[in-house]
Amino acid sequence: MARKTSRTGKGPFAPDPGGYCPTCGLETGEHRGKPTGEKRACPYEGLAYPELRAGHDRIYFGPWRKMNAGPADVVRAYNQIGRHLNSIERVLGGLDLPAARRDHLKAVEACRLGDPREDSQEALRFMDNALSYAHRVIDDLLHERGFPSHAPMEFAEWYDAVEVPFRDEW
Amino acid sequence: MLPLDRYPKEITLRDGACVTFRPMVREDVAPLWDFFKRISPEDRMYLREDVAKRVEVERWARDLDYDAVLPILAFCGGFVVGDATLHRNRTGWKQRVGTVRILISPDFRHRGLGTAMIRELRHLGEKASLHYLLAEVIEEQQAAVRAFEKLGFERMSVLRNYVNDQKGNLHNLVVLLYPMSDADEEVLY
Repeated sequence: MARKTSRTGKGPFAPDPGGYCPTCGLETGEHRGKPTGEKRACPYEGLAYPELRAGHDRIYFGPWRKMNAGPADVVRAYNQIGRHLNSIERVLGGLDLPAARRDHLKAVEACRLGDPREDSQEALRFMDNALSYAHRVIDDLLHERGFPSHAPMEFAEWYDAVEVPFRDEW
Repeated sequence: MLPLDRYPKEITLRDGACVTFRPMVREDVAPLWDFFKRISPEDRMYLREDVAKRVEVERWARDLDYDAVLPILAFCGGFVVGDATLHRNRTGWKQRVGTVRILISPDFRHRGLGTAMIRELRHLGEKASLHYLLAEVIEEQQAAVRAFEKLGFERMSVLRNYVNDQKGNLHNLVVLLYPMSDADEEVLY
């Protein structure tokens, strides 16, 4: 859902090249792959649940999953996952989607177990699981509205990620 | 009684194709029969019933009972392109276990329709207060196995040389289980 008001909720969103994208809520600097002239277009524009897609993808393509990730990258990603799950919870709201709701609970539980600030040997795995469950919830929401699943790799170039020439779908 | 007011349900596939999900009705014999005719003999070998016989499809339509078997058909341009069924037992020790079966038209495979149909059956299973959904897939159908796993089905076992096709060749059967709302709590007692 497009953000209609500013982050303070005090009026219409004012486009700001250094601010937040009115469509997906990411910092506009994060749309760094395909600047269109002076205007930075949002790759999620016109799609359902742009803020959830963007929230997922910024984590999915984030530095914490790279070989050279530092502890700060991991903690940052962990915090992002927590906020992402909160956003999903708000959207799930009163919707009658029990499968999605349960996947969300699984995501929250995985996130709890994956706190990298604790001495967890498997923090990364739990964080990955949390993100994966979250993805499933987003896909459930999309399915409910008749849309195809969210495919992060379709947005890879916006995150400087290398495209994988592979799609596993049935 | 499952609420079916969500149908007809429009679904857009990734390539833009639009399909409509709705429960099968008695008048669907012709399009369903046409669908089965488009399934290759190789694929038909993996099916439980002999769908090469129209009389079999007519029997399904005649005996429709959504509380026992709920067939959801996917239509595109008037053609059936997918058939997903949720099988339930009204009584007995497996009344909380639903069995799912899905068949996709060859020209609609690897386009996301199978995944969408699994998602639909998962939703129906939840609404039917089932505790588990069971899927059995021939091991060679790896894309289907992965699609089920991606949606939360767990591979419980692989039964070696468990089933035979219509030519008598033996195949491994992958048994996948999806635990639902109350399943975990029940298992504890």
